[in-house]
Amino acid sequence: MKIECTKEKLFGAVSKAEKISGKHLTLPVLSCILLEAKKNALYVRATNLDVGVEISFPVKVDEEGIVAVSGSVLSGFLSNLYTDKNIKLETIKGNLSLTGGKTSITIKSLPHEDFPTIPKIQDGTVFHLESTDLLKGLTSVWYASGTSSMKPELSSVYMYAEDDSLVFVATDSFRLAEKRIKTKKPKDFSHVLIPFKNVLEIVRIFEEVKGEITVEANKNQISFSAEGIYLTSRVVDGVFPDYKQIIPKKFGTEVILLKQDLVNTLKISNIFSDSFRQVHMKADPKKEVFEVQTKNADVGESISSPEAALTGEPIEINFNFKYIMDCFQSIDADSVSLEFSALNRPMVMRGVADRSFTYLVMPMNK
Amino acid sequence: MDNKKLWGSVLAELELSLSKANFHTWFKDTAVTKQEEGMVYLNVPNAFVKDWLYNKYHRDILKALRTYGENVRSLEYVVSKDEGRKKEGEATRQATPIQSNELPLNDYYINKEDNLNPKYTFDSFVVGPFNDLAFAASQAVIKKPGTAYNPLFVYGNTGHGKTHLIQAIGNSLKGGNPGRKIFYVTSETFAVDYITSVQNNKPNQFKEKYRKYDVLIMDDIQFLSKKTQTQEELFHLFNALYENNKQIVFSSDKHPNYIPDLEERLKSRFSAGMIVEIPPPDYESRVAILKAKAKQNNFTLSDEAIDYLSSSIEGNIRELEGVLNSIICQTQLKNSELGLADIKNLIKNTSKPKKNISPKDIIKIISDFYNIEETSIYEKTRKKEIVKPRQLIMYILREDFNVSYPSIGQKLGGRDHTTVMHSCEKIKNDLKVDQLLVQELSRIRALI
Repeated sequence: MKIECTKEKLFGAVSKAEKISGKHLTLPVLSCILLEAKKNALYVRATNLDVGVEISFPVKVDEEGIVAVSGSVLSGFLSNLYTDKNIKLETIKGNLSLTGGKTSITIKSLPHEDFPTIPKIQDGTVFHLESTDLLKGLTSVWYASGTSSMKPELSSVYMYAEDDSLVFVATDSFRLAEKRIKTKKPKDFSHVLIPFKNVLEIVRIFEEVKGEITVEANKNQISFSAEGIYLTSRVVDGVFPDYKQIIPKKFGTEVILLKQDLVNTLKISNIFSDSFRQVHMKADPKKEVFEVQTKNADVGESISSPEAALTGEPIEINFNFKYIMDCFQSIDADSVSLEFSALNRPMVMRGVADRSFTYLVMPMNK
Repeated sequence: MDNKKLWGSVLAELELSLSKANFHTWFKDTAVTKQEEGMVYLNVPNAFVKDWLYNKYHRDILKALRTYGENVRSLEYVVSKDEGRKKEGEATRQATPIQSNELPLNDYYINKEDNLNPKYTFDSFVVGPFNDLAFAASQAVIKKPGTAYNPLFVYGNTGHGKTHLIQAIGNSLKGGNPGRKIFYVTSETFAVDYITSVQNNKPNQFKEKYRKYDVLIMDDIQFLSKKTQTQEELFHLFNALYENNKQIVFSSDKHPNYIPDLEERLKSRFSAGMIVEIPPPDYESRVAILKAKAKQNNFTLSDEAIDYLSSSIEGNIRELEGVLNSIICQTQLKNSELGLADIKNLIKNTSKPKKNISPKDIIKIISDFYNIEETSIYEKTRKKEIVKPRQLIMYILREDFNVSYPSIGQKLGGRDHTTVMHSCEKIKNDLKVDQLLVQELSRIRALI
């Protein structure tokens, strides 16, 4: 193999791929990334047998070839190399030698024959999606998914098509986040469960991609491709709980306040929250008072009452601070509404005038 | 050769030609699940493995398969998640619908304030002839808590619906007036609570906790037997609540008079209100219960299956529920409706077989009971000590086993059917006046 390319392109591809490569696997070649020069393009591949990625970009190829080298070594070198010159890659006696500016290195390679192929999806349903929509959907909900491997369907992001929207949902059974993205109705696509660890990789890799992403899914795999990037992930074989039935239909109490006010209030309250991070909320529409209280026997206590518009019945209820805090990253509106229905029912949080995002938090019971 | 053996031999051969790391990465969790007309189906854990085995080792695997298996023509890879543990890949995919019935965010969790389980309501409570008295009593309690029947004492064997009934009382009282303080507690929790309060030297806290309730529901009171201190505490608590007209509901598996080692003063207090029994459900109620339970699970059960289940499982509603659950589970697994034969097969371990009793057995039991020779029943003798048992046999065969008059006559030494009719009529009339005979009959029936 003998090629020449710009440092930026190579570094971009290698750093993306390198993070996917497996770390603690029995097969050493899996901790490598595979570089393949073929027909005026360089293909960079990495996989941990859960997610696989292939990134390709045009380069000047003098001689075709394949080499598998440690991804962390290669990206470590590239990230510290400051040169505006092009980089030359060449295999010498099976090892990879790089020359960039005044530095040249040689990286030991592993037998590339052992490097697995990245599976292509067969008989899948295909649809197209704006990359911003996909990323918005995934980043709006993934943090709500569970981390336990006991319930794989809960440690996943559930993506399904409904009417003219693509819906993203995640829950760990203490809270639930749902984001609806308006899009053309994907034909034939019904639903898929993507493991949340893989969701992180998808978000990372497609972060800088603009434009349309092609999604293809069958019952075992899902793939995303755009601009020379191809990523495929395992999907979870399971049934996502029928979550719609737990979203309360009627509300007894509604509180609307500025998002920033609520964030600040909660941050103060958290200083005084107990080991369960419990915050006590009290809404009394008659007296027009909304209070957030916390108490910690060792630290002290706090009471704040941010300005809020209240309607409905009075209520006093407890929540875990962390679960509430998580959702603000997904609410774009300036004001948020908190809707309570009963003491043992979840609180529903939404941005005012933005119905696309819904967040549910289960109350804490003493 | 069976699947496991075949794949075992193939793996053993492949292991020799591959590096250890390669072998473990690619052949872990693989299994042959099916062989069909020369086609071998190999389960692999994910698409990566599938691709890799196909691209890299396909020829080696096939060669080894042909060495060990017969008539192996080709090899198909199937991606499946649990192949090592499950015998067939099919089972994993079809088992998933069951999970969909679970509620994700504990919607039906037990309310900490009153301990009541919201799933026990009167909507799901089936009222039949066997429990209509208990139902009526509980409705009266709901209308006038604290005054109608205080305390309400419900007893009956396990699985007859006591807990459902008393929790439904609580839930319905709660629904009628949310401000009412209701508390459901099992006597075991009550005892533990009391002991902890004594340990922590906070007996007053315990007293205050229980005395503030408007309605106290205590389940399985029979477990308080022998716990004298807890009984005494209950006694005081009872008096405090009773005097303030607070409703108290108890349940137990026995009539209070038969609970061993229960203080007299408690027994007499239990008797002050209303004591109702929930006897075992009769056939019609069992049918109704099965239908209701099936409907709750969105499951349709054929009429003959319901009939069979209700007649073969007697007494315990919990057992009925268990059998129904296993039928639902099996149906979802097999993805087709179960026939009556399948159901019979399924419950053969859960249900107790109905005793098959022949007229001969009855003759033996009754002649033993009256201490006479079995053969004398068949003889044409009119001795008084023989005639009475013979007539009783006829009566029982007719009343309890529905045997026809002529065939009874035939079985008892070729007697005319009018003789049998006369005997049955006579016993029937005697039973109205002769208390001794009534007792004897019930003892004989117990023996059968």
